[in-house]
Amino acid sequence: MINIIIVEWKRFIRNKLFVYVTAFFILSLLLIVFLGIEQNYNQQLRQTQAQKYVRQQWESLENVNPHRAAHYGTYAFKPVNVLNSMDSGINDITGNVIKLEGHVQNEIVYSEASQSLSISKFGKLKSSLILQYVIPLFLIFLAYGSLSNEKETQRLKLLVFQGTSLTKITFAKSLSVWIYGLTLLVITIFIQSILGETDLEIFTRMMFIIISYGVYYFIVSSLATYLSVRLRNNTSALSSILAIWIIWTIFLPKIWGNAVEKIYPLPSRQSFKTSMKIDRSKGIDGHNPTDKRREDLKVKYLAQYDVDSLKNLPINFDGIVMQQDEEYGNLVWDKHFGNNYNILQRQKTLFQISGILNPFVSLQSLSMGFCGSDMYHHLDFLKKSEDYRRYLLKTLNDKHAYGGSRTGDWKWTVGSNFFKSIDDFSHQIPKITSQMEHYLIDMICLLFWGFMLPMIIKHRTNRDLV
Amino acid sequence: MISIQNITKNFDNNIAVNNLSLEIKNGEIYGLLGSNGAGKSTTINILLGFLKPDEGFATINGIDTTSDFISARKHIGYISENVSLYPYLSGLENLDYFCKLSGKTLGQNKLHKLLRECGLENGVHNKRIEYYSKGMRQKVGIAIALAKEASVYLLDEPASGLDPLASNELSIMLKKLSKDNAAILMASHDIFRVRETCNRIGIIKKGELVKEMNTSDVSTKELEKIYIDYIQN
Repeated sequence: MINIIIVEWKRFIRNKLFVYVTAFFILSLLLIVFLGIEQNYNQQLRQTQAQKYVRQQWESLENVNPHRAAHYGTYAFKPVNVLNSMDSGINDITGNVIKLEGHVQNEIVYSEASQSLSISKFGKLKSSLILQYVIPLFLIFLAYGSLSNEKETQRLKLLVFQGTSLTKITFAKSLSVWIYGLTLLVITIFIQSILGETDLEIFTRMMFIIISYGVYYFIVSSLATYLSVRLRNNTSALSSILAIWIIWTIFLPKIWGNAVEKIYPLPSRQSFKTSMKIDRSKGIDGHNPTDKRREDLKVKYLAQYDVDSLKNLPINFDGIVMQQDEEYGNLVWDKHFGNNYNILQRQKTLFQISGILNPFVSLQSLSMGFCGSDMYHHLDFLKKSEDYRRYLLKTLNDKHAYGGSRTGDWKWTVGSNFFKSIDDFSHQIPKITSQMEHYLIDMICLLFWGFMLPMIIKHRTNRDLV
Repeated sequence: MISIQNITKNFDNNIAVNNLSLEIKNGEIYGLLGSNGAGKSTTINILLGFLKPDEGFATINGIDTTSDFISARKHIGYISENVSLYPYLSGLENLDYFCKLSGKTLGQNKLHKLLRECGLENGVHNKRIEYYSKGMRQKVGIAIALAKEASVYLLDEPASGLDPLASNELSIMLKKLSKDNAAILMASHDIFRVRETCNRIGIIKKGELVKEMNTSDVSTKELEKIYIDYIQN
């Protein structure tokens, strides 16, 4: 088998066009990785500066009422990691900043605007674009004629006659093409790891990226080679594999994606907001002193502290009410956001299942997942930022309630030391090993294809094809 | 030894080989003469194990070419009409590659020697096949077959594209192989070359063996007349 691979590589290397195209690929990848990392670095820098500025402003709050500070709020920035420069996934459309404040859970805003025009039309030029679309296409061009050409020239007969089985020849030809794709992939990841900051987590993710793309390239090269041996001539082999590639990359993802949205529809933004508002109105209105639920809470606290009026209460009842309002709001948010989360999860799972028919979908999902730019990483950030918002609001409301002021004393203030003592929002990309359950379907589908194709080649290539 | 017993092969109801029986002993060169489409190549493809006969069977040194074609091929050296080699490899690299595929790793000296024996001078051994003439490619094909050191040789129009000198060299080489006890089947429509090379000749028409003779019994002229008579009638 190794001899066939060596001869195939001689075929590649002794073809000037191949050498030029390879050089073009390597230079393009080098440039894209470099520009991606540079852009990533700038974004990271701007974000760090903004985050620092926001924190400075927070810490410089002097003599401010804690509840006023809750309305003032702060911002959470979605962290950028070096792998985002490889596959930006859904980051381009989801935004990266969220305002955290009292009474309300805001939506994430400010998607990266630097390439908004090109994003809307063509998608960003990231190395994933080359790795997912261009290289597989080139592998197809290398593989489609590898055996049909041997058949057309009658060379296959001589090869098989020499004592090598057609199955072995098919595997060897497919491996030759696969090694080429793998080489470009490894070069890309290597450049990425040299130019970008890499820690153990990023390195682990890179390994998973290599495995995922490696399996996908194996699928593409095996399928193209198999069609090359099965079909009568070069034209049939090329048109069949190109048709499959177009169905995989363009039609099936769109058709299946639309079907998934129909099967598990998300509520519209308006209906989401309306339902939230209706549910929220059933809780305590922190700023309405005549609210009945507030009255019930007051009776409870008066009894607890054994006093007859709010004036005699040793704590600030307004802080208690605000926190109650927050906690109720949190329940409402959990209910509605949880519902959306479940729908999104169902949509994603159903979409992932299409990997049985379309391994490209599995690759895309794994690529985004391992680069930390998919839905699950986004939802993780939203959850962590909401957790922080709750921590922040509780700290402020508790200070308001138990910090020494009395009910109705809205002019009571605290100094900057208190605001400095509140932890800043810090979010790290979750460990990929803790996220693997989300990608099991993709991995199974990709492996299914990776095992099925060699089986087909083994059992469906016989002497009748020579 | 090559043995063909009552072989019949049809392609979409067209008879390619009809009840053909033939036996070629070790040390014998058998020339199978016939026009295009007479069934020569189909017979050779059955012997190579690429085609399965509808009826009958063929053996190479007693090994059934249908049921155990992989073992049978180990005993066969094969030269086709159009030797299709890799144009981006040199003659030497092609020879080396095909030898390795058949499980033989020959040293550089042996490879050069084989090419020289087949009429290719040292100067062209390292040139890419794309710069070779058809005859030179045929010589590399012959070297590939000889490298197998087989006991049975199947040749399908082997002199096609060879100049007269090279054709003559081929004849000499085949005679040498038969002296070394190889059984050789040469399918051709080159009456002169068959008469010069073979011990026994058979004429095949529409898949049937219509005439068999010993070479010593006929002159080239007589053979030509017999052949034309059989083909035209």
